[in-house]
Amino acid sequence: MNETQSILKAEDLSKRYEDGVLAVDHLNLNIYPGEVYCLLGANGAGKTTTINLFLNFIPPTTGTCYIKGIDVNRDPLEAKKHVAFVSENVMLYGNFTARQNLDFFAKLGGKANLAKEDYYQVMRRVSLQEKAFDQRVKNFSKGMRQKLGISIAIIKDAPAILLDEPTSGLDPKAATEFLEIMAELKTEGKAILMSTHDIFRAKEIGDRVGIMKEGRLVMERTRQELQVEDLVKIYIDYMKSEPLI
Amino acid sequence: MTGTIVRKEILSNLLSYKFTAVIVLVVVLVATSFFVMARDYKERLADYQLIRPEPGAPIAVLPPNPLSIFARGLEEAMTRSFEVGAVGIDVRAGQSSGNVIFSFFPTPDFVHIIKVVLSLVALLLGFDAVSREKEAGTLKLALSNAVSRSSLLLGKWTGNFLSLAVPFLLVTGLGLSVMAFDPALRMSPGALGRLGLILAAALIYIALFLSLGLLVSSLVRRSATSLVVLLLLWSVIVFVLPNMGSLLARQIVDVPSVRSLSEKRQQIWTREVLLSYGDRSGWGARIQAMNEEFDRMEEDYRLKFNRLVRTSRSINRISPAASFVDAATEIAGTGVSEETRLKSEVIRYKNQALPSLARDRTAREAPAFSYRARPLGEVLSDGGLFDLAWLSVFTILLFAAGTVAFIRTDPR
Repeated sequence: MNETQSILKAEDLSKRYEDGVLAVDHLNLNIYPGEVYCLLGANGAGKTTTINLFLNFIPPTTGTCYIKGIDVNRDPLEAKKHVAFVSENVMLYGNFTARQNLDFFAKLGGKANLAKEDYYQVMRRVSLQEKAFDQRVKNFSKGMRQKLGISIAIIKDAPAILLDEPTSGLDPKAATEFLEIMAELKTEGKAILMSTHDIFRAKEIGDRVGIMKEGRLVMERTRQELQVEDLVKIYIDYMKSEPLI
Repeated sequence: MTGTIVRKEILSNLLSYKFTAVIVLVVVLVATSFFVMARDYKERLADYQLIRPEPGAPIAVLPPNPLSIFARGLEEAMTRSFEVGAVGIDVRAGQSSGNVIFSFFPTPDFVHIIKVVLSLVALLLGFDAVSREKEAGTLKLALSNAVSRSSLLLGKWTGNFLSLAVPFLLVTGLGLSVMAFDPALRMSPGALGRLGLILAAALIYIALFLSLGLLVSSLVRRSATSLVVLLLLWSVIVFVLPNMGSLLARQIVDVPSVRSLSEKRQQIWTREVLLSYGDRSGWGARIQAMNEEFDRMEEDYRLKFNRLVRTSRSINRISPAASFVDAATEIAGTGVSEETRLKSEVIRYKNQALPSLARDRTAREAPAFSYRARPLGEVLSDGGLFDLAWLSVFTILLFAAGTVAFIRTDPR
């Protein structure tokens, strides 16, 4: 793939927190349109910090994040126009209905003047039950909230999507439905970065899978390579290996 | 973008039980205060009709001020009756509604409701505006979009401000409209203008507490912490600081008590009566001399008292609550400066009436007392405008600090 086409790019990215912990250590990453990149790793490996750096929630210690070629640190508002985010535990405004939540975040994402039917269409696409469209979100299950979260990402129609452990805590059916939607978005040309603990789903959906340990990207495999290698074994081997420093 | 956030905040408030309960409380309190204070005013007005002096009587008494319905201030002290005699001024109880229950349960006036209740409501709206979203994770989702933090905070501020200011202004407007149907309560355009200024001060005051709420909410991670910190600050601003100011001023400025002044006057009077016993020839000159001495004592007392008031007001200005009450009562004409001026006018009146009283103590030919409240321009230039500007600057500073805190906040 041509590097100039990458939508999400981390260049020599490091983050050391104030308490001295090096959460991300010289990470280099390129994610291209129509590609799903799965970041695997134990808790504290640096997956969520990487996503937070892409979203400019925290400044990097060194290095740069680019979204569609825009330096996130230098022009965060312009960069964020091109990225959508789904967190591990999508929490929305409980007093609002699904449609009201979708409407608010769509407008924040720069999509004004959408009709009621546009919202319904997106919610149907993620298989949210029709009766839930105008119900208050506070009574939603986690699976329903995740679906609404991905609706928000879809309606923004950004070229890049960041997913922070989106299937964590979902039942198998909900997780499968979620990955089906990811597959659709991939065919639409979205560049998707997904952090996850779920090795099986990473192998299923990921075009490339990277393993992070102590902030470093210690391994990267393509879908083709994983046809012949056992990802579970590779992952466990890396987790069992000696600390890097 | 800010408009979207404003609409979301208003909708979020409208859908919340907390907001509904708080607004119902404000509406009930304001409406009750208007109703009870208006009745009280009408009774005081009727009382004034009874005690108003006959032509030629050396009595200075003011009719009740219609704006005291909203800002009671020192109205009770100002509507006392001042009877001028040959040896001084006799102060009598003023007009009263006759409702003894008021002594046990004083009805909070409009200014008191704003000072205590509305400031608390503004804090209740602001305390979790940022911290709740941090806790819930919605702040992360909102900030993952191309929205600047300052726009987000401004939207939150505006939305919450409108959520409180609009129902407050509506219930006030409704109360005034109902009052307009009663001829006894109808206010002049000048009084309405002053009330408009009081409302403007109230809105600035509410804005100040909302900004304080957003600042603390941006600084802490948990809404519970924010609530505790803000309740503490609110108690200090509304109750502790205004009282501390007065206590400190008393330490700085030494003012004799009114009782000691009165006793001193009594001693002089007794001395003069004893000295002139059996010899009434120089009585007129003695009265003149006594009055001059009383005036000097009064003048000395007033100078010290005014210094105390000025010092107290300057210290109290640290508290926005004291600044607001000061500005509102001065604009309404029930403030400290107005009362001080009234006292000076009563003394001036005494000197004016004295020649006729010296001629014949029972004569009913004293000039009529006339008093015009300070014009609004004078009220504003004499501290009113400063108080309003100070409240505005305080609000802007708190909002700016809140914006800085929010920009630096970690949304994770």
